[in-house]
Amino acid sequence: MNKTLRNPYVYLLFVLPTLGLYGLFFVYPVLQSVFYGLTNWDGLTPAKYTGLDNFVKAFNDEDFWISVKNNMYFILFSLFVQVPLIILFSLLISGVKRLQGFYKTTVFLPSILSTSIIGILWGFMYHPSIGLFNNFLGWFGLEPIYWLSDTKWAMLSILVTNAWQWMGFYIVLVLAAILAIPKEINEAAEIDGATGFQRAYRITTPLIMPVISVVVMLSIAGAMRVVDIVLVMTNGGPAGATEVMASYMVNKALRYGQYGYGTALSIMIFVIALLLTAIYQIVFARRQERIEY
Amino acid sequence: MKKKLVTVTASVLVLSSVLSACGSGNKENNASPSASPAASPSASASPSEAASPAPVERFDVSLRHIQIGELQKFRKAILDEVVQKAEAEVPGANFEMDAVEDSFNRWTKLPAEMAAGNPPKIFDLFGGPGDGQKFARANKLLDLTPILDELGIKDKFTDFSTFIVDEKVYGLPIGASAEGWFYNKEILDANGIAAPQTLEELEAAFETLKGKGVTPIAMGSQAAWVPFMLLNTLIPRYAGDDIQAGVANGSRKMTEPEVVAALAKYKEWVDKGYFTKGELGIDYTGQTNEFVAGKAGFLFDGTWRVSTFNADGVGGALNGKVGYFAMPAVPGGKGDPTSVNYNQNNGYGFSADVNDNEKAAVKAFIKNLYTEEYQVRGFQEDGVLPSMKVDASKLTSDNSLMQQVLAINAAAGKVFPHFDSLVPGTVNGEFEKQIQNLIAGKATPEKAAEEIQKAMDAELAALK
Repeated sequence: MNKTLRNPYVYLLFVLPTLGLYGLFFVYPVLQSVFYGLTNWDGLTPAKYTGLDNFVKAFNDEDFWISVKNNMYFILFSLFVQVPLIILFSLLISGVKRLQGFYKTTVFLPSILSTSIIGILWGFMYHPSIGLFNNFLGWFGLEPIYWLSDTKWAMLSILVTNAWQWMGFYIVLVLAAILAIPKEINEAAEIDGATGFQRAYRITTPLIMPVISVVVMLSIAGAMRVVDIVLVMTNGGPAGATEVMASYMVNKALRYGQYGYGTALSIMIFVIALLLTAIYQIVFARRQERIEY
Repeated sequence: MKKKLVTVTASVLVLSSVLSACGSGNKENNASPSASPAASPSASASPSEAASPAPVERFDVSLRHIQIGELQKFRKAILDEVVQKAEAEVPGANFEMDAVEDSFNRWTKLPAEMAAGNPPKIFDLFGGPGDGQKFARANKLLDLTPILDELGIKDKFTDFSTFIVDEKVYGLPIGASAEGWFYNKEILDANGIAAPQTLEELEAAFETLKGKGVTPIAMGSQAAWVPFMLLNTLIPRYAGDDIQAGVANGSRKMTEPEVVAALAKYKEWVDKGYFTKGELGIDYTGQTNEFVAGKAGFLFDGTWRVSTFNADGVGGALNGKVGYFAMPAVPGGKGDPTSVNYNQNNGYGFSADVNDNEKAAVKAFIKNLYTEEYQVRGFQEDGVLPSMKVDASKLTSDNSLMQQVLAINAAAGKVFPHFDSLVPGTVNGEFEKQIQNLIAGKATPEKAAEEIQKAMDAELAALK
């Protein structure tokens, strides 16, 4: 037995099944996508090789870049609105002495609801005549806003709904990190005269940076692959105002039977995701220091 | 170690024998259709066989339909009856109904299934180059010509040209429809408006209603095919009844001034606020509901909507209070003012991948569905005009709304089709996109026409 384990080829044998599965379900489809991305293929008849035509078309496709821009809105909204709010709510809940469990459950609840339910629920709230928001505006004598029908408001409406859905999940993550910080650190700061804000800003937040980094990474990943909430709430409308990369790609491939072009778009989405990951690594992840208490 | 191995091996053996026993329990019902011997529904069994009938193996036939919700209940009832009859005729046949929303089936689910090679055996299908003809050319659809010959109903259809490729029939229209203006008589009466006869009167009615705070036209443009109906009639009124066919074959252009004038007229109505506010966020059901609730004076829709206003329909409250008229002539328009849009482009198609059993079930389905009885019932219960030649004396109606529809259709000098039955899917998609851009103020009529023509030119160039 020991002799066998000293043979390096045995270890290779152990990883072979995994490599096989990885090759079959990841490498092969990626290579196949690259091939179909270079063809004019309708999904029904044999593919015709067209070189880089699909990629040239994608670079000049105004609608695709609008959908890329919409994904960027998701990322920016996550980073600059969602993440600060997540930290704020986590700090507030961590400071609560009574009913902390209730608050934790309440904020977590939206993330266990299905996107369809959330879409319908918020669709009612955004309803032009009977919706909560327009009723609220009505108290101040303001004109109703067509939240999901107006090209100016639809994107923001979806961003808010999406943030509501996922914030609870991240809050619980950050909360766990906050509660794991030894109490002595904060107590020492309190004795030294630090205010609540100073403790939150100078002590707690820096100590939970590794978790915030994970939250940022998950938010970027979530924003890149967002599609369900868009399909449920506006289906990319009004007039393409909320179209995202994934919905645009699926539409091109399925509805218009442009599978070759759709596959090329998927490769471009993959490249954009890689670029964003690189930016995240440079800007955020590499600066992390290991925290030891 | 050895003892452990024996224990594990014994456990695996016991578990596998238990599981295999579970699996064999319902073998007869679980037999795969392709493995089962062909059941011949019309085969004459010998007396001895009849005395002790051989066990019939069950097989499933997937059936995708779009008859969902209260608005479609009459058509769903007909479908259920047909399925029952077909199941009774074909021993072992079990039709598995799969209800999917119309647009989702047409634009997403069915195309994806066609590409993956696993469409249902029977499915709702549209004709034309963007749908049925495309699938037929890829050998995905069952050639129905021999079945129609065998059943003797090939000559019974009034027109199934949009389902034909190389003289073979690949789909059968379930009904026909025209499109025109419905109006709420109560709202018009209350505002001193008579049923409009001319475009000027129609626009004056819109203006009056808007002034009184009533939505002139109920519209739900979330799915662009809904506003497309109105434009599909407005364009031929300006540019002539051959415009759809002309654009499709390249002899006419979307950029012609008359077509742009039609788009401009639509845009003018949008800008004047004649349509439902926030229409881009309202779906087709929402549009119907708005009219049914008496919140809008007019509705441009297909004649299939007639049954909604029956006493037992969803819009029963408006029973006897709705009128119908064709789009009036437009000043200087080239189109025949009496012509109507007439479609027989939606029906059923069948997968080319069927075994003998499934083919027998398909044949029984066609035989039972495409009959005069159901064509007449579809007409009387649901306002669906027949797609088959039916005894005219049976196509009478006590429903005053249906009588108006019939009179207008009878008076039509010409009929014209919908763009989507003649142009490729990409062009239809560009059309829909530009209509929504027009509504959202993101495109001018000229720009919209140019973009649609560009898409059409690309398709025509690809054909060469």
